[in-house]
Amino acid sequence: MEQVAIAPISPRERRWGPAAAVLTVLVVVVLGGHVVAGALSERLGAPVTVGGVLRLSPLSGWQLARRFGDPPGAQLTRGDGNLTFLWIPFRGTAEDLTREYVNQILTPDSQQLSVSRQFEPVVLNSGLTGVRIAYVGLFGRAHASIEGEVTAVVSPSGAGVVFDGWAPNGLLQYVSDDVHKMIESAEVR
Amino acid sequence: MVSTAGRAPLPMRRGWGRKTTLFQYDQPAFWLYAAVLVATGWYTVGEQTVFRNISPSGWLLSWILLAVYAMPVFLAVYFLDLYEREPLSLVVGALLWGAIAATSMAGIANQGWGRVVARVSGPAFASQWTAALTAPWVEEILKAAGVVLIYLIARSEVDDEMDGFVYGAVCGLGFAVVEDVFYFIGVFGGSPSAVVAGFYIRVVSSGLYGHVLYTGLAGIGIAYFVSHKDEVPRSRRLLVAGGLFLAAVAGHFFWDSPWLDLFPSHLHTATDWLQIPLAAAVKGAPLLAFVVVAVVLARRRERRWLGAALGSEVGLVGVTEGELGILLDPRARRRSRRAMRERAGKRAARLLRRLQREQVNLAMVRTRVQSADDPDIARQREYCKSLRDALMAIPAAAPAGGHTGVD
Repeated sequence: MEQVAIAPISPRERRWGPAAAVLTVLVVVVLGGHVVAGALSERLGAPVTVGGVLRLSPLSGWQLARRFGDPPGAQLTRGDGNLTFLWIPFRGTAEDLTREYVNQILTPDSQQLSVSRQFEPVVLNSGLTGVRIAYVGLFGRAHASIEGEVTAVVSPSGAGVVFDGWAPNGLLQYVSDDVHKMIESAEVR
Repeated sequence: MVSTAGRAPLPMRRGWGRKTTLFQYDQPAFWLYAAVLVATGWYTVGEQTVFRNISPSGWLLSWILLAVYAMPVFLAVYFLDLYEREPLSLVVGALLWGAIAATSMAGIANQGWGRVVARVSGPAFASQWTAALTAPWVEEILKAAGVVLIYLIARSEVDDEMDGFVYGAVCGLGFAVVEDVFYFIGVFGGSPSAVVAGFYIRVVSSGLYGHVLYTGLAGIGIAYFVSHKDEVPRSRRLLVAGGLFLAAVAGHFFWDSPWLDLFPSHLHTATDWLQIPLAAAVKGAPLLAFVVVAVVLARRRERRWLGAALGSEVGLVGVTEGELGILLDPRARRRSRRAMRERAGKRAARLLRRLQREQVNLAMVRTRVQSADDPDIARQREYCKSLRDALMAIPAAAPAGGHTGVD
């Protein structure tokens, strides 16, 4: 029987191999979740268009829950997470639009509403800039404890768009990733 | 010949007690360790700076309280290995890996895998289970990677299960301390009163059960896998090491899961505060008991190795049968030194301690050399003899029985 010579593994190879294996494990553990989560956040289903001005693509798992007409808007939902979005003609800044939404929509329907003081700047993929605030309060007849984030942008053509991502208190952090991603990819005319 | 409790004698452990340091510049594992530590060090410094800016007094109090907790735990773990203390640079290296590298990487990794759980399940499920489904795997792998790197840097230092426990437990201690600072400032609020409350909940009530146990257990498994290559088939070593790692993950999972969660939802009354240590015991005591048993077994095994290594030395000049009997029993060692101090003074007790340490070193030298006539072992025997002679020269140090250390 013919003998096959097997090249011996050098000590140097033996030393590099385990270190490379540890490095691989570290990279997979540290970055793997972000890669997998990104892969799972695919855009599925038809984009939702509001009044020919706003177009938003739901991520997988998000469904259109309802549409409303005054002001024109819609609501996407995924489990306990929700994203309400609407548009109005608006001449002013994104900060003004945010205050308007808080005063006209959130405050009348809530108790013990608490709104963050700082406006966080937001940039959509289209380049449009806006602001974001966080809120928490008791909403509706059931006094449900809700936390949310209002994101407002005003387009150069005068369309004021508000995105309100909300969920029962303590659960927003588990949908905020999706909410931010859908808002960032929204198209505003 | 000293008995090893009626068991079959263990094969002599080759290379037991060889000493090296963390700084092995020719080892790729050292450079990987150093690179990760430096990179994550920036992250950790930035995070601690933010915490200090949020609440300077709370941040300082956090570190003071955690030092009060961590120092005794560190010393207890370090001195648990009675016969062969690990090189301090390697132990500190494991501590820094847990405190800096593992915590920083875990922060990034937990966030990513948490996003996966939220994507796959939904917010209600994710709020209940994300911690249990992500942190145990992520954190135990990252901490265990530190123990593996310590082994790759200084292979000869991880030569029995106790070594693995020491490196793992210290790595877990580093992780626990930095994680606690995060919780005291970021979750409990950071004010001095909040820090004290956090210290009571996370350390006083739960400090016995967390990362020190998990990584200690994983460390035992790693050490078992790498130190029994000559005696145990690879499949069995994998089974034991994998089983211990899974036990650590399972313990961590149980702690983070909503199962048997008896912690009070509010802290209004004294009863609520008293309920916390009980709730923590329900979740943590089973794994604590398991680890205690594992450590006791590892120490017994180490004692048998010492007996095996010194057995052939009895009757030569380095160690007598009576001295070996005392050497194998930690309590008898302490008793013998106490008796020596009472009988012949502090200097004699110190000399006896030195003799006993050098006799342990004799065992370690014996495992390193091939022949009983090797110059190294002959030199160590003579050194032990000279210490014994010096001890016997002290008035009242020599007992009626004729050998040192025996009451």
